Amino acid sequence: MSTDTGSGRSLSLGSPMRWIEDLSDAQFAYLLLAPGLIVFGVVAFWPLFRTFTMSLHADVLYGPERLGAFVGLQNYVELLTGQRNAALPRPFLDLSEPLTSAVTVTIIFTVVSVFFETLLGFGQALVLDQDFTGRRWARVAIILPWAVPIVIQGMIFYLLFQPTVGFLVEPLHQLGLISATPQASSFDSLLIVIVADVWKTSAFMALIILAGLQSIDRSLYDVADVSGASKFERFRTITLPLVLPSVLVAMLFRTIGAMRVYGLIDTVSSCSTVPSLSCLVVQSFSASRYASAATVAFVTAGLIAIVVSVYIIKFADVDGGGGF
Amino acid sequence: MAASQETRETETTRGTGDEEEHRNVVQRWASGSMNNPNRTYRALFYIVAISFLVTTLFPFYWLLMLALTPSAKLTDVGLLPNGFNPEAFLTVFTKVPFHVYMFNSIVIGLFTTALVLVIASLAGYAFGRFEFPGRTPLMLIFLAISYFPPAAFLLPLFRLFTANVTFFSLPGGTTVTSPMLFNGPGAMALPYTALFLPLSIFILTTFYSQIPDGLEDAARVEGNSRLGALFKIIMPLSAPGVATAGVLTFIAVYNEYFFAFLMTDGRAQNWSTIVWGLLSYQGRFETSYNLMAAASLLGVIPIAILVVVAQEKIVSGLTAGGLKE
Repeated sequence: MSTDTGSGRSLSLGSPMRWIEDLSDAQFAYLLLAPGLIVFGVVAFWPLFRTFTMSLHADVLYGPERLGAFVGLQNYVELLTGQRNAALPRPFLDLSEPLTSAVTVTIIFTVVSVFFETLLGFGQALVLDQDFTGRRWARVAIILPWAVPIVIQGMIFYLLFQPTVGFLVEPLHQLGLISATPQASSFDSLLIVIVADVWKTSAFMALIILAGLQSIDRSLYDVADVSGASKFERFRTITLPLVLPSVLVAMLFRTIGAMRVYGLIDTVSSCSTVPSLSCLVVQSFSASRYASAATVAFVTAGLIAIVVSVYIIKFADVDGGGGF
Repeated sequence: MAASQETRETETTRGTGDEEEHRNVVQRWASGSMNNPNRTYRALFYIVAISFLVTTLFPFYWLLMLALTPSAKLTDVGLLPNGFNPEAFLTVFTKVPFHVYMFNSIVIGLFTTALVLVIASLAGYAFGRFEFPGRTPLMLIFLAISYFPPAAFLLPLFRLFTANVTFFSLPGGTTVTSPMLFNGPGAMALPYTALFLPLSIFILTTFYSQIPDGLEDAARVEGNSRLGALFKIIMPLSAPGVATAGVLTFIAVYNEYFFAFLMTDGRAQNWSTIVWGLLSYQGRFETSYNLMAAASLLGVIPIAILVVVAQEKIVSGLTAGGLKE
């Protein structure tokens, strides 16, 4: 294959069009893929590979390269056993302070926000599945938060929970739910970040679940009506099982997104108050701990890979379950 | 069916007509809904629908109230502004060159979108219309890229774009290093292209694979070259798919925070986007909450227009991307 294209190229420098016509289908397909492969090679595969090799070296805080001797998997061992916690801006995993260690913060954020996004997204999808006047505009209103830039989303919730201008802090403080300065408290900030994420991304869930709802065969509902099923029974026996694959796909996408959270935290609060995994990468990088930063980045990718495979197994279960 | 239901309804109301006067509105509604569950469902539906609309739209309304509040009265802004002063919508541009930041965001968005569409059209065409060895593994590898967190690309890319990566050394001591792209549009557009290409490739693969084979053969018989057939016949036919991929890419780029924040130093003349524009109100001017609100609203406008105009495209694109199984 490579020799073919090589000789083809040298022969046909004068007429590239002629050369393209002479390629086999497979060769033409590879030619069309070449620009994509080049971009992926330079800005995706090479950086991933380089991040991995960086993570195999020691941290060196000074010098042009900021990378020390080759240490093998030592960074990973120290990171996962907690020996590296003290050297990092925030601990990687410390169960004694779950609200300031990166793994626990990221997991709490992901689980809680994806749970509420699924519930609200499902609700929104059921609403959009109905016929009513103004449906088009309702859909615009529900999609709009999804399209709002992360920095503006963060700004909105920063302002809403700002003790002086926002009107939410005082009543919520008096109810004992949050402190008087929520943006300085890890628990309150995590809560605000979760609320902000649910506000923005429930719509994404809603659209994917809606597509699932609309692919359900309507005659199934007629059968249910004839057999006298209540609306709730209809939902439980027809809608829910048939829409479940779409719900899982939507949850998978949102989980991947939530595990990368960075910008929202940076705008609403700060990376040291709510240290997510991506925050820890950036902070270690700013502190010139390149190797540690690379290790955290790669472990994050690994965690995401584990979550993705769990979803895929679960999906195969649901999808392959025959009548279910 | 509907008629019989109506008669039943009138019968019930007639039957309970005497008691009706002694009941209040709530009781009447309750008895009515017990007799006719569909009415309850309808009422419940409207309550749920309206509460969804209120929660999604309220933050924008409140931003407007905050933006209209004069600087001196910025405490506890509720449902109405404390006073009325639309000046903030002009001050945002004088305190910080917010129009430049927005211009940068839009230009980088359009540039990335163009790049993504060209590359994704070619790749989508290859995946959608040809069988070749390695097709499935290549597609899976492309899709896998979108699973990686941006943080996993950051460190090498930062060094690459700040001219710190040496490609090779020439005899005589001169070295060839990577170009200095930091503080320029390329430092953002290139990572965005890699991050957002997979979705576009997927959408376009689906579109191209649905075009009947005969059309392409006919174009070839009429004397079009291979690329001619692609650009003159196949691309125009898949225009809806190209538009969908374009809208989604633009929104994704305009949304992006991570690289926009880390690949420039934050100055407007250095291609910083609205991320830095908005954050500069947060940092330098401690009390300019009304300016933050006004700038946020202005920043939403381009994207709001796009959502209103292209909502069908967004819905079809997201669901195509989501339901790839």
